[in-house]
Amino acid sequence: MTLILMLVGLIALIAINVPIGIALAVVAVVAMVLTQGVYILPNVALVMFDGATNFPLLAIPMFILAGAIMNSSGISRRLIAFSSALLGFIRGGLAMVNIAVSLFFAEISGSAVADVAATGSILIPAMKRRGYPRAFAAAVTSSSASLAIIIPPSIPMILYGVMSDSSVVQLFVAGVIPGVLGGFAMMLLSYWFARRYQWPVEEIFQLARLWQTFKEAAWAFLLPVIILGSIFGGIVTATEGAGLAVAAALVIGGLIYRELDLRFLRVAIVEGGVQTAVVMILVAASALVGVYLTEQQVPQKLAAAILTLTENRYAVLAILNVFFLVIGLFLHSAAAIILVVPVVMPLINAVGIDPVHFGLVVTLNLAIGQQTPPVASVLITACSIAKADIWEVSKMNISFICTLFAILMLVTYVPAVPMSLVELFYG
Amino acid sequence: MARLRTAFERLLESILIFLMVALTVVVVVAVIYRKAGASFAWYDEVASIMLAWVTYYGAALAALKRAHIGFDGILMAAPLPWRLWLAALAELCVIGFFVVLAWTGMQVLYVLEGDTLVSLPQVSVQWTQSVIPIGAVLFIICELTSLPAYWRRLRAGPVDPDGDDADRDTPPPEPAR
Repeated sequence: MTLILMLVGLIALIAINVPIGIALAVVAVVAMVLTQGVYILPNVALVMFDGATNFPLLAIPMFILAGAIMNSSGISRRLIAFSSALLGFIRGGLAMVNIAVSLFFAEISGSAVADVAATGSILIPAMKRRGYPRAFAAAVTSSSASLAIIIPPSIPMILYGVMSDSSVVQLFVAGVIPGVLGGFAMMLLSYWFARRYQWPVEEIFQLARLWQTFKEAAWAFLLPVIILGSIFGGIVTATEGAGLAVAAALVIGGLIYRELDLRFLRVAIVEGGVQTAVVMILVAASALVGVYLTEQQVPQKLAAAILTLTENRYAVLAILNVFFLVIGLFLHSAAAIILVVPVVMPLINAVGIDPVHFGLVVTLNLAIGQQTPPVASVLITACSIAKADIWEVSKMNISFICTLFAILMLVTYVPAVPMSLVELFYG
Repeated sequence: MARLRTAFERLLESILIFLMVALTVVVVVAVIYRKAGASFAWYDEVASIMLAWVTYYGAALAALKRAHIGFDGILMAAPLPWRLWLAALAELCVIGFFVVLAWTGMQVLYVLEGDTLVSLPQVSVQWTQSVIPIGAVLFIICELTSLPAYWRRLRAGPVDPDGDDADRDTPPPEPAR
């Protein structure tokens, strides 16, 4: 009964715009006082502190900071110039450049919103100037940034890893093949659009120009090599790799390119700190709820209830896919992971689904959620940059969302797609 | 009032920048030392505590900017008198929770008197845990400071997403995704 009241209370508080993290904390405190009395209250302060001292989550501010430095030091501009020299000769090449740069940027920042802000602010105006409809420019920027959250490093994957107690590094490895497949699928789709609407080629292919832009961007290419190489090679943990990403971005942006814009960087650090705090308050509050749910054995009871319906792992995955797609409409990805993953993990373990495989399924579902209004932060950011109507962009975005959905189905029902690299490295 | 708000915002931003930069320096230096075969015993504990400090000082700043993850679609769709009453109830819940957190945070500080960090015995746990009552009070101040502008927005009602927002040149701060 208390649990139902908690759920109703949580929905009511979210409906009147209490921040989700605080709504979680309020219902947890009320439930604790109702079941255990007021003497339990000092635990609130202890749990809210301990919940925020989660060491693996240190990677979140570090990766956000690395993305901010990259964005404020001309690294993004060089990547765009190189991608344009490489792909700009193909019809619709600027859309492909957008996708390629999004995927590359993801290898440093781990945040889709940072990705949109970095690439969109340069490429969306460029695409509009070259005759692409602004709705298409916003749609391709937004969807490719969301696809990029399954390419390592990824903040949702770090959160999932912590919440499910699974290996963040293995999650990173599992994201590589689906991410690259999705990138190629989106490029093909852009090519199809470009042929259909006769969008222009960006520039003539010139080997000399390719070489020139490669030389200028060569240091930037070292960033993912340093970050992913050291994490995958077992030299550093994901958290330490995030620290290395900041140091490498600072050295390359500040000392080698000498283009670090300190005023921009200051703003980016503050925004990064705020973004981190917003997620961490959710994490701390979820620790408070977790204490109560664990005592009441709620995750175990939920697993038992679903197992009476079906024990087939693919049926369970289908149920959870529908569930995550629906909550992706209304919740930010961080909130969805923090709220749902600890509750469903006993079910995932009971039906024998690999937690790393499930992590990819969850992340892809939430990537789609970032594109589906009303709560779609990545899409809204892209629309804001493009000054485009959100519904017009959404119409244009349907084919890109279908691409993300196709990748989701592939990852869900062909586990070899995400897991073959994991088996190869860690099997 | 506006000048006071700006000064307060600048102060919180400065604290947050200091914490973010210090956290990065600690992580990077610790990796370098570990690779050189001289690990810091205090690294995990200190870095985790710094993350908690980033969380609570950053959360206060996020309250000032009204940047916490929420869902205002239903509230904004409510008719005007109800919209304001429900928003007032929401504000009471938020402030009430942080009053409880500040009060319990103070109680915990008394209990922890004399305790020190495991890896750095010279650092008092009272000092590291002080972020809870201080952060809670800062949150309440920020929530109240940003309330008048939020209230005006509530009175004005839903804004066309392609109107004011679409005219921004830079995207708004968004939660990490």
